[in-house]
Amino acid sequence: MRNASTMTAALLGTLLLSSASVSAADIKIGFLPGVVDPFYQVMQLGVEAAAKDLGVEVVTQVPPTWGVEAQTPILDAMVARGDLNYIITAPTDKDQMVAPLQAALDAGIKIITVDTFLGDGDYAKGPVTFPISYIGSDNVEGGRISARGLAKAIGGKGTVYINSTNPNVSSVEGREQGFAEVMKNEYPDIKVLGPDYNLDDQNKAAQQTAAVIEQNPDLAGVFGTNVFSAGGAGNAVVNAGLGGHVQVVAYDATAEAIELMNKGVVSLVLAQKPFDMGYMAVQFAVADHAGVTSLPRRVETGFAIIDKDNVSDPNFSRFIYKVGN
Amino acid sequence: MTDSKAMPAEPRLPPDKRFILLASRLWAWAFLGLMIAFFIIVVPLSGGATFLTLRNAMNILVAITPVLLLGLGQTFVIISAGIDLSVGWVMSLASVVSAHAIRASFNAGAPLFLAATLGFLAAVAASAGVGLVNGLIIAKLKVPAFIVTLGSSFIVRGMALLFSENTTVIGLPADIRDYGNESLFYVVNGEGGGFYAFFRPDVTGAMLRQMDRIFTWPVVITAIVVIICMFILNRTQFGRHTYAIGGNMQAALRTGIPVDRHIVKLYMLSSVTAGIAGFLSTLRFTAGSAVIGDPLLLSSIAAVIIGGVSLFGGAGSIMGTVIGALIIAVLTTGLVMMNVQAFWQFIVVGAVVIIAVLIDQSRDLVLGRRGRGS
Repeated sequence: MRNASTMTAALLGTLLLSSASVSAADIKIGFLPGVVDPFYQVMQLGVEAAAKDLGVEVVTQVPPTWGVEAQTPILDAMVARGDLNYIITAPTDKDQMVAPLQAALDAGIKIITVDTFLGDGDYAKGPVTFPISYIGSDNVEGGRISARGLAKAIGGKGTVYINSTNPNVSSVEGREQGFAEVMKNEYPDIKVLGPDYNLDDQNKAAQQTAAVIEQNPDLAGVFGTNVFSAGGAGNAVVNAGLGGHVQVVAYDATAEAIELMNKGVVSLVLAQKPFDMGYMAVQFAVADHAGVTSLPRRVETGFAIIDKDNVSDPNFSRFIYKVGN
Repeated sequence: MTDSKAMPAEPRLPPDKRFILLASRLWAWAFLGLMIAFFIIVVPLSGGATFLTLRNAMNILVAITPVLLLGLGQTFVIISAGIDLSVGWVMSLASVVSAHAIRASFNAGAPLFLAATLGFLAAVAASAGVGLVNGLIIAKLKVPAFIVTLGSSFIVRGMALLFSENTTVIGLPADIRDYGNESLFYVVNGEGGGFYAFFRPDVTGAMLRQMDRIFTWPVVITAIVVIICMFILNRTQFGRHTYAIGGNMQAALRTGIPVDRHIVKLYMLSSVTAGIAGFLSTLRFTAGSAVIGDPLLLSSIAAVIIGGVSLFGGAGSIMGTVIGALIIAVLTTGLVMMNVQAFWQFIVVGAVVIIAVLIDQSRDLVLGRRGRGS
């Protein structure tokens, strides 16, 4: 019955849509992001928009917590459904998720990774080559952009501090790496402290930053590798009477990060483009199914840098992660 | 079992045993003192900063408030030979609920102070509700506290995430920040400075950086809760009953203590101090967070144990928990200032927890108290 009604819907869709979607109508895509958060929720909007535009069905399952042990059982269950042709996923670990996703591939499901990747992210020549593509931000580049933005804001000299969440997570690790690299190579007059890891504890991020300010009264800037880091660091900066003097750069344009910017706690916000990632991943699946063989193995979606001056400009504010309403 | 009165005066023990008893009472103070002395000497060597400044001391007090508040109610529960694993998530739930209450009432036209008060009441009510359910299941249905609070922690966590908007509740009035970050007293250092009470002096620019906030409001509120807890534990029948239940449940029942009702109250108390922590974090970060308390549970239990509360029940003090929380916070700040990987903190805290339990046990050996609890 269920199959029959799906078929009817698919046929109707086919009749209504252009011929390009004829072959797409009979595929079903699973979407498995990393965790519940605004970034992935915006990505889901992208996935759903593309599914609607291209007339394919998408099944979404969101792990409640970040981690391999949360993501793998859901992945296995999606594979066990038996009706999915593609899975679009953000692997929660670049090594540990290889085997579970390989198993999905062996079950006949093709894999596209978004936001995070497997192996080193080079699916053409790297250690892991079975996913169709990686579509996401270049986090190392994001770290570089953050570094240049912060360097500009503090006039190219002084001491800056990195507050991060957890070690060995490819995304924040890449951000730290790119940030430190630019400061070392392009801004010899800037000294980098940290990273300290707050383990996703905003209170601890505030305490760590307060301690760093005590030790370095001349601190000029802080790079918070996510919104908790930036929020905690910003709290310490403002309480030390240094709001506006110590520049805080936040990664990820959550509504909270923008609110912190409007309150003067954060001076610069780096927005990724999760909508693009989700939309393109569905497009790639449809294209692959239609027989396209020249899909790029790696697509970098770029960034938007939001500050107080451009936050109300629609060309920039459209990249703030908005969910619902 | 004649020791239902907590810690009677020990008669004429040999010197080595007296030393162990003395050490068991004072070692946490001594450890804290030694650690501070260590940082006072080493921090300047490793970076040139001074560890013992007024501002740094205040930063540490601010940092201990959440761990300490979670630990305060937990102290009562553990003295009664129970455990409350739900406190971290109760804190998150209270943070979310209070943020909603503050935002809704402020947007409906309530003045800021009233909105904050409603936020406080909402946090207390939500957390007390969780504690009531925990306590009823533990006391009436006789399910072990470990299991009940483990289960409820998951439920509470889910509720906190459901009630939040993508894990955070934002859009609070900006001035609510002052309640979470401004203070009772201010010292403005340098020329034209001075000492100010209650109202923030009108300083800007470079002068602002010379201003120290002495006892921010969360610290003040936490201190009040500490004093209330001390009073309850040391001076009231409620406190005596708590020790009695933890020391010997059967004896407590025989002496007519309303044990069931008492246990319900204990878990409500534990939840409410966690709820206050959630409320204060909402003020401090001007947003409700459904994950703010996640990492704090184990630190708070560690603080309680370092403070000398016996996991077997019947012994412990509020001051001990305060010292335990201070040890953890001083370590974090000191290690960051020394530029040492903050992960060393875990290793030191872990070692200190084990030492604390060893000292607790050796005290029991000296006093000849074995096999306590029920």
